[in-house]
Amino acid sequence: MTGRARARARGRARSSSDAEVGRLHASPSPPSVGLGDSEVSSSSGPVGTSRISQKYGISAGDAGCTFKERGGKLRRDFVDLAVCTREKMAHVRNCKKGSSGIPVKLVTNLFNLYLPQDWQLYQYHVTYNPDIESRRLRIALLYNHRELSNKAKAFDGAILFLSQKLEDKVTELSSETRRGETVKMTITLTRELPASSPVCIQVFNIIFKKILKRLSMYQIGRNFYKPSDPVEIPQHKLSLWPGFAVSVSYFESQLLFSADVSYKVLRNETVLEFMTDLCHKTGMSCFTQMCEKQLIGLIVLTRYNNKTYRINDIDWSVKPTHTFQKRDGTEITYVDYYKQQYDITLSDLNQPVLVSLLKSKRNDDPEVRMAHLIPELCFLTGLPSQATTDFQLMKAVAEETRLNPLGRQQRLARLADDIQRNKDARFELETWGLHFGCQMSLTGRVLPSEKIILQDHVCQPASAADWSRDMRTCKILSAQSLNKWLIICSSRAERVMESFLNCLRKVGSPMGFHVDYPKIIKVQENAAAFVHAVQKHVDPEVQLVMCVLPSQKNYYDCIKKYLSSDCPVPSQCVLAQTLNKQGMMMSVATKIAMQMTCKLGGELWAVEIPLKSLMVVGIDVCKDACSKGMVVVGFVASINPRITRWFSRCILQRAATDIADCLKVFMIGALNKWHKHNHDVPARIIVYRDGVGDGQLKTLMEYEVPQLLSSVTEASSNTSPRLSVIVVRKKCLSRFLMESGRTVQNPPLGTIVDSEATRPEWYDFYLISQAACRGTVSPTYYNVIYDDNGLKPDHMQRLTFKLCHLYYNWPGLISVPAPCQYAHKLTFLVAQSIHKEPNLELASSLFYL
Amino acid sequence: MEENNLECNSVVDGNVEEVPDKKVIKFNPPLYRQRYEFVKKLVAQHEPKKVADLGCGDVFLLRMLKYQKCLEELVGVDINEEKFKWHGCKLSACVGDHLDPRELDLIITLYQGSVLEKDCRLVGFDMVTCIELIEHFDSEDLAKFPEVVFGYMSPAMIVISTPNSDFNSLFPYSDFRDLDHKFEWSRMEFQTWALDVANRYNYSVEFTGVGEPPSGAEDVGYCTQIGIFHRKAQATEPDISEQQGQHVYQVAYTTSYPSLQQIKYRRRVVVYETYREVHRMRRKYKMGLTWCELEADPEDPDNPRRKFTSGLPSPQPLKEAEKSTEMTPKPFCIGDKFYVPLERIIAYPKVKHLCGNVEELRALIADAVELNCSGSAVQVDLDHYADC
Repeated sequence: MTGRARARARGRARSSSDAEVGRLHASPSPPSVGLGDSEVSSSSGPVGTSRISQKYGISAGDAGCTFKERGGKLRRDFVDLAVCTREKMAHVRNCKKGSSGIPVKLVTNLFNLYLPQDWQLYQYHVTYNPDIESRRLRIALLYNHRELSNKAKAFDGAILFLSQKLEDKVTELSSETRRGETVKMTITLTRELPASSPVCIQVFNIIFKKILKRLSMYQIGRNFYKPSDPVEIPQHKLSLWPGFAVSVSYFESQLLFSADVSYKVLRNETVLEFMTDLCHKTGMSCFTQMCEKQLIGLIVLTRYNNKTYRINDIDWSVKPTHTFQKRDGTEITYVDYYKQQYDITLSDLNQPVLVSLLKSKRNDDPEVRMAHLIPELCFLTGLPSQATTDFQLMKAVAEETRLNPLGRQQRLARLADDIQRNKDARFELETWGLHFGCQMSLTGRVLPSEKIILQDHVCQPASAADWSRDMRTCKILSAQSLNKWLIICSSRAERVMESFLNCLRKVGSPMGFHVDYPKIIKVQENAAAFVHAVQKHVDPEVQLVMCVLPSQKNYYDCIKKYLSSDCPVPSQCVLAQTLNKQGMMMSVATKIAMQMTCKLGGELWAVEIPLKSLMVVGIDVCKDACSKGMVVVGFVASINPRITRWFSRCILQRAATDIADCLKVFMIGALNKWHKHNHDVPARIIVYRDGVGDGQLKTLMEYEVPQLLSSVTEASSNTSPRLSVIVVRKKCLSRFLMESGRTVQNPPLGTIVDSEATRPEWYDFYLISQAACRGTVSPTYYNVIYDDNGLKPDHMQRLTFKLCHLYYNWPGLISVPAPCQYAHKLTFLVAQSIHKEPNLELASSLFYL
Repeated sequence: MEENNLECNSVVDGNVEEVPDKKVIKFNPPLYRQRYEFVKKLVAQHEPKKVADLGCGDVFLLRMLKYQKCLEELVGVDINEEKFKWHGCKLSACVGDHLDPRELDLIITLYQGSVLEKDCRLVGFDMVTCIELIEHFDSEDLAKFPEVVFGYMSPAMIVISTPNSDFNSLFPYSDFRDLDHKFEWSRMEFQTWALDVANRYNYSVEFTGVGEPPSGAEDVGYCTQIGIFHRKAQATEPDISEQQGQHVYQVAYTTSYPSLQQIKYRRRVVVYETYREVHRMRRKYKMGLTWCELEADPEDPDNPRRKFTSGLPSPQPLKEAEKSTEMTPKPFCIGDKFYVPLERIIAYPKVKHLCGNVEELRALIADAVELNCSGSAVQVDLDHYADC
C-alpha cells in the first residue's frame, strides 16, 4: 500500500466505526444505587408518554422551556439551530441561491409533515394539592384522569403539552389515591407555541421516536434499528443491524422528516469473553493494563435491558460475590441480584466489574453516580479497534452495508409505507394533528466542470472523478529535482526496490521530476534497524528518505516520528508488497513520484481561480490515538494566489481547550508566510472549518471567528483582508438522488443544492464533489457562518467546488475542499503516528501526504 | 380488574400507612413489590410454562416475570386497555435477547377483556395469578368469578391475593384501602370463601401473605393475604374445551421472543459458537503453548490482577473439556489454513447441546462457515487480525 492508500483505508475504517459509535452515547439509566438497572419498573425499552417525561426532563426557566435529551443534554444539533448566522450577512439575507449550472431534478430523503394552519402546542403547568413528590405518581394521577385520557399529551410531572387547548385557562381536576385521599391538580396554561417553536420540534421528534418503536425498532444511541434481518459476519463476531437515523425539523420553508439508512455494529462477544481472549493473548503480566487500555471508553450494551453504557473504569477489587446496596437499603450480592431479577446465573465468579459513570439527568444536580456492570452481561458494540486496520473485514462490512441509490430509495419507501400503514403509528400522528406526506423532490444545479491547468497544457478531464489518464504525458507545474536522497530497505526487498527505482526514474522525467540515483542502505528486517539507519545516514543535505518496509507494524510510526519532528526531512514509506504487485508498478511509481514531488515542495496542477490575492485555509481536528483527552488541531493555508503551495501547522492540546487560541498563532504565521512570498497581505481569506461537532456552532461564532478576525486585522495597518468562515460537514443526514427513467442514481459531480433542504437561519448549501462508484454518494454540507467578502452565493459555491480539485494525493475531485483534506491528513498522521508537533521546518511542504 | 394504577398503589400501600400511635408503617420493599416478588418466587419454584395474570394493570408483574427462563407463554388480561398502550412495549424482547436468545420460545400476549367472561385462550395454563383483584368485584361478579377461573380456565395453580382487613386496625382511618374496593375481608372471611371454592372445584389451598405486621401487633397477620390453590386431579380434556370455546378478549398486544427453538436463531448461535471454538484452538495452535504453560506464569499474591483468575482457564473445567475432546481428531494445519474437524467441535458441551450430532452441526453451519472439501472440518485462515 502506498501512503495514500493506507491513509484511505485507515480513514475509511475510522469514519465507519465513528459513524456507528459516534452517535452512540452512553445513556444514563434511571436512578438506582450501585447498578445500572436495579429497578424493573424503569427498565427495558419503555415506550409511551410516561417514558417521554422520564427521559426528557422538561424545565421551565426564564428563557421559556427546553426539552432535555437523554441524560439531561439538550440534543446538540438543535442547539446549533438557535445560532442564526444568516441575518447578520446582508448580501444573503434575501437570497442565498446560486444561479450557474444546469438544473437537475433530485429526490431527497426528506418527507413532508403537514400540520393544520392554525396548529399550536399548548404548554401547561401542573401543580398538585397536597403536593406530591413522586414524579411517577404525579404522572399516573394525571394520566388516569378521564379528562385527559384521549388527548395527545406529553408530561414530565410538571409541564404538560397538549395539542388541543383545554376549555379554560386554569383547569381544576381532582383524582383520588387508593387511600381515598383527594388530590387536586391545577392545570394552568402558560404558553401557546407556534409549530415553528424549537420546543415543538423536540416534541415532534419524541413523537417519531414513539412511532419507530411501534414499528418494532430498537433505539440504540440516537438511531433506530431493526433486529429482524441482521447482516451477520460470524468470523468476526459481528452483527450489523439495519436501521435509520431520523429527525424532524424545519427546513427552508416547511416541517420535514428526514431519514437516512444506518447500520449498527453489534458484537456477539461479551466483555468477559473479550477479557478471557485478551488474557490468553497477552499473558498475565500486562493483562490488566492491556484490558484497561482496550476497554475503557468503549460502549457496551447490557444483556438484560436496552441500555448502553460507556466503560469509564474497571474495578478489579469487586467480584460478583460482593454485595451492593439496593435502592431499598438492603444488601445483596451481584450474583443473587441477577439471579433474582433476571433469572441469569453468572458463570464466572471471579470477574471484575466495569464502572460506568452516570451523569445526573437534572442539570442542577452535579452528583455523578456510578453503575457497576458485570462483564459477562455486557456486549461490546462497534467495530473492534484492530478490525479497522483489517482491510478484508472492512471491505466485507462495506459491501454488506453499502446501498446503491435504488436500494436506499427502496428502504426509505418502505419506512414511509410502514409509518403510514401501521395502525398505532397513524393513531399517534393523528392525535397530534400531524399528517405524514410524501417524499420531497427539489431542483439542484450541476456546476460546469473545471479545467485542470498543468505546466504547458490545460486539460478538460474526461471524468472529474479521476484525471490521472488525462495528465499522463503532461508536465506538472513545478518540481524540484531529487539529487541527494536515501533508500532504506531490507536485503530481501532489494530486487523489487531496484526495479521500482528504475520505474520511478522513468515516470519522473515526462512529469518534469528529475530523480537521481539514491544512496541505498540495506538493513535487517526490524524496526530498530530501520530507525538506526535513518539516524545514522540522514544529514541536512539529504532531501528525502525512502523506506521500503517489510510490514506496516512498528516501522511506519517510529520512522515518521523521527523524520517529522526530531530530524525534519521529508520521508516516503512504501510497503515491499505494494511494489511486488505485478503489472501495477507503473501506476504505483507514478503515484509515489507525485507524492515525492509534493513532499519536496513541488506543485502538481491548478485550476483557474478568478479571485486574485485569495488565501484559503483548512482546519481540522482529530483525536489522538494514544493519549485520551488530547486532540490534534491542524491548520493548512495556501501561500500563493494560484493556490498550489501550502503552509501547514498543527498542535496537540487537551480536548477541553478552546482551539481558538492556537488558530490565532497559526493565522498570523500563515499571513507572514504569505507576506514573505507575495510582499503583501491577501485581499481575501476564506477559512474552511472541518471537525465541528454538533452543538459547537455557538462557540465557533463567539470565540473562533473573533480570534481569526483579530489576527487578520492585526496583520495589516491599512486594509486588512476580508474574512469568510465556512463550516464543512461530511456527515449530514441529507441525501440526494437523481431520477433517471424508472430508477434513481447518484447525481452528477458538481451538483449543488441550496434550497428547500437547507435551513432558513443559515447561509448554507450542499455540494456533491466526490464520486461514489458503488453505494450512494453523500453530499458535503457547507454553512457559511461569517462572510466579509460578500461574494455572491454563486461564486462562493463555485469557488468551493474549484477547491475540491486541488488535493495532490488524488488526481480527481474529493469530497471536501483541498485545504480541509490536507489538514485532515496532517492531523491524522500526527494523531496516529507522531503524537507530537512536527518540526516547523517542514511547514512549507506537504510532508504528510 | 379495576386494579388502580400501581404507581398510586405503591405509595399508598408502601410508604405512608400510619398506625394509631403515630408510628408510620413503612413496608420495605413496598408492599406491591413484595406481592410481585412473592409471585416471582413461586414461578421460580414451580417452573410453570404458561402463566396468566388477571387484572394485570400496567403489566408490572409481567415485566418482572418475562426474564424467567422456564416460561413459554405469558398472558395479561385487563379490562382497561388504556394502560396497555403505554406499557405494552416494555414487554418486548430487548437487544440482548436477539444476540443471546433464550432457550425456550416465549410469547407474551395482552388481552383486553373481563376476567368474568370465558375465553378459550385462557384454558390450560399452569398458573393463574389474581393479585389484588377480587376485592374490586361486587357480590354478583364475585359469584361468577370462581366458575370462570377455577371451573373454566382450570389452571394447575391459582394465586389470589387480597387485603387483610384484620390489619386495617393498625391504620388510622376506618374505610377501605381503595375507594373502588367493594369489600375487604378478614382472614376468616377470605379463608372461608377460599376453602369453599377449593372444595367445589377440587383444589387444595394453603394460606400465606406478605407485609409482616409490626412487632407487638403480630396477631393481625399479614397486610396482604394470599391463597395458593393447587388443582387436585387432572382436568378433563382441556384441549377439547379449548376448541369449543370462543375468543371473547381482544388482543391488545403480542410479542414473540427469539429463542434457540427457532432454527434461525439456533443456526446463528451454532455458527458463532463454532467460530469461537475454532479461533480459540487456532490461537492455541499458533502460540504453540499448552494451557499449563500459560498457567505457570509467576503471580504476585498481592497483585490485584491476580484476583481476575477467570482470564486463565481454571484447572478443573479445562481438564474436563480436555477430557471430552481428547478422544476426538485433532485440529491441523495445511499451508496457511487451519482445520478443525467437526468431531472435535461437537465435543464442546455447548455445541453438543445445540446440535446433538455432527450431521446436524454440518447442516446448520454449512451456509455460513467454510468447510474443507470432504465437509468434515472447518477451515479458517491461520492468521487473524485480532491476534495482534
